[in-house]
Amino acid sequence: MSSTVEVLTALQNSFLGQAIGQSNHLVGATSQVFHILGFVSLLAAVIFINLRLLGLALPNMPLKEVSRQAVKFIWIGFFFASTSGFLMFLSAPTLYYANPAFLAKITLYTLAIVFQVLLYQRVVKLANPGKFLVWTNVLLSFFLWFGVSLTGRAIGYV
Amino acid sequence: MSILLELAQGLQNSGLGTALAESRYAFPLVEGTHLIGLSIAVGLLFLIDLRLIGVFLKQVPANTLLRQLLPIVLAGFAIIFVTGILLFVSEAETIIASSALPFKILFLVLGGLNALYFEFRLSREPEFQNSSAAILPDRVRYAGYASIVLWVLVIISGRLLAYI
Repeated sequence: MSSTVEVLTALQNSFLGQAIGQSNHLVGATSQVFHILGFVSLLAAVIFINLRLLGLALPNMPLKEVSRQAVKFIWIGFFFASTSGFLMFLSAPTLYYANPAFLAKITLYTLAIVFQVLLYQRVVKLANPGKFLVWTNVLLSFFLWFGVSLTGRAIGYV
Repeated sequence: MSILLELAQGLQNSGLGTALAESRYAFPLVEGTHLIGLSIAVGLLFLIDLRLIGVFLKQVPANTLLRQLLPIVLAGFAIIFVTGILLFVSEAETIIASSALPFKILFLVLGGLNALYFEFRLSREPEFQNSSAAILPDRVRYAGYASIVLWVLVIISGRLLAYI
C-alpha cells in the first residue's frame, strides 16, 4: 500500500506530472476533449458491432466483414481515451488513487480490456455465433464500457 | 441579458435544479447518461458520415446504412436532449455566463441544419437513394465532412462550458 503511494508520489513529482499539474487549465480541457472523442469512437464502434451481432444492422453482411472494418475504431478510440486519461491521471495520481469512483473505473476498465481481448474480439470474427455468445458479448460489453464512462464521470463528484 | 440571467437563476433555484445540484449521485449520473447518449447519437452519426465521405463500409449502399441506424441515432439524441435540459437547469447560472455557450448553440444549430438539409434534400435524391456506389456525389460527401466537423465543435464547446 505505502509503496503504491510512493510510486504515485514519484509520478506526480516527475517532470511530466509537474508539467501537466502546473499547466493552464485549458491543457486539462484539451485532454478531456480527446478523452471524450476517444470514447465516443470506441463506444460507437462497440454499439455498431453489437447491433450487427443482434441482427439489427446490416444483417446480410458477414459479421466478420463488419467487424474487420469497425473494430479499428474501437482501438483508435481506446488509444486516444487511454493516452489522454493517463495524462490527466499524471497531474494528480495520489488524489485519483484515493477516489472510489476512480478505483471503480480502473477496475471496470481492466475487466473491459481483458473481456475485449479474450472474448469480444474472438466472437465478432465468427461466421455465425450462437445466441448465448451473442447476448453475452452484447450485454457484457455494454455493462463494462458504459460502466467505465459512468464511473469515470463520477470521479469529480465523490 | 439580465432577463436571461434572472431566468437562469430562477431555473437553478427551482425544486428540480436544486435537487439535481445537491444530489451526490443524480448529477454525475445525468452527466454520464448525457455522454452515453452522445456516444450513441453522435458516435453512430460519425460512422454514417464516414460512409458518406467514402472511407467506411464502402460496399454497403449508404442509404441502407443510414435507414438502419437513423432510429437509434434519434433515440440517442432524445437521451442527450432530456439529460442536457436537466444539466442546464441545475447549472443554469454558470452555463449562461460561459463564453462557450454561444459557440455551442451556434454549432448545434448549424449541425442540425446540415442534418435537416441532408435528410430532406440530399438523401431524397435518386442519385443517393438508389446508389450503391462507393464514392457518392460531392455534395453528399461535403455534408458528411460538415457533419463531422460541426459535431466535433459541439463536443469541444460543450466541454469548454465548464472551463471558460
